[in-house]
Amino acid sequence: MNDPVNVLGISGSPRRHGNTETLLDALLDGAREAGADVEKIVLRQLDYGSCRGCNACHRTGVCVIKDDLTVVFEKITAADVLAVASPIYSMGITAELKGLIDRAQYFWARKFILKNLYFTDEHIRRHKGIFISTAGLGWDNVFDSAFPALTAFFNTTGFEYWDNIIANDMDRYGGIAGHPTALAEAREKGRNVVDLLRKLQAEG
Amino acid sequence: MTIDVLAFATSPRRHGNSEILLDWVLAAMEEQGAAVEKIVVAEADIRPCRGCNVCETLNRCVQHDYMDYVHDRIIAADCIILASPIYCMGLAAQAKALVDRAQVFRSRKYVLRLPVVPPERKGQRVGIFLSTAGQDWDNVFDAAIPAVKCFFHVVDIRNADLRYLMVNNVDERGAIERHPTAKADAEALGREVIGHLREVLAA
Repeated sequence: MNDPVNVLGISGSPRRHGNTETLLDALLDGAREAGADVEKIVLRQLDYGSCRGCNACHRTGVCVIKDDLTVVFEKITAADVLAVASPIYSMGITAELKGLIDRAQYFWARKFILKNLYFTDEHIRRHKGIFISTAGLGWDNVFDSAFPALTAFFNTTGFEYWDNIIANDMDRYGGIAGHPTALAEAREKGRNVVDLLRKLQAEG
Repeated sequence: MTIDVLAFATSPRRHGNSEILLDWVLAAMEEQGAAVEKIVVAEADIRPCRGCNVCETLNRCVQHDYMDYVHDRIIAADCIILASPIYCMGLAAQAKALVDRAQVFRSRKYVLRLPVVPPERKGQRVGIFLSTAGQDWDNVFDAAIPAVKCFFHVVDIRNADLRYLMVNNVDERGAIERHPTAKADAEALGREVIGHLREVLAA
């Protein structure tokens, strides 16, 4: 009997049930179909502060701010798959998602300053990060500035940056429902990532 | 005429490297007779954009906070300065919230097709991006720049009127004071921009 695969979805859109959250939902539906335990967190509903840049975590390894993100980071640590979603606003991720990512500084401090947190290659291989995004504009480069922050976030928290599920040109398609492939792709990748982790579990 | 400079210190850390860099620029501008206003974004009530898109019809934001004042100051200023540290390869969340709230200008310009500033002021405004990063990577500022350009474009400041001063490899508080050229570069930038604005505003 394998352990359940825990899939954590985090929606960084301020708009409920918009294009990005719908795309995230499709991925989570696929993961659920494949038998995963799925939870979704909507950042907009939480009360949290942004990183204060105080660098106290560089000495202590913990954040001085105790708020709704404290438990979110516990859930991130417990997840096998971390699916992070944000629409593109002004050529970047939303302030809500950037607020979460900046608060992960204490992981970075533990890894690189205090050196009391280390993710083995095996751990990283068994923890998959997925970025989900939509953009109104049809430009090919519209997601480019989001990737480095997500790369940093997945690295810091011990996830392999497994894949992107991104769909631009929402304004032309009239929303995600009008996009020819994105929702089906998200659902399939949700199933695939859970199947893959099960296979890795079976390898022992 | 007095040059009106509006500066945003967006770092959550007061008097850290990016704010020191900003203060050097502002001091040089004041020496040239400019009127400068510095807004400390982390201490101001500027909430994130809600993505409601109501500004596309209403031509204003549905949220009422300090951005009401900032909105009018952005239109009035001759020079707008955005100073931000790099956190996790991008603008800090506080700076991104400010940039995203400029959506009201984007709606005005591209959806409602209304002027943001009167046509005669186009080319008479300058935008400056000041940034510092702890990492020494050459590419550490790259992902922040598209959002910065977005911010300046929607308030009618063209690429040709943008200036950048970005200093990497300064991490702990005050590290920029030991940088070999940052202070001189900041002061030269402040003087150059005020001189340039005097010229274009007199023309």
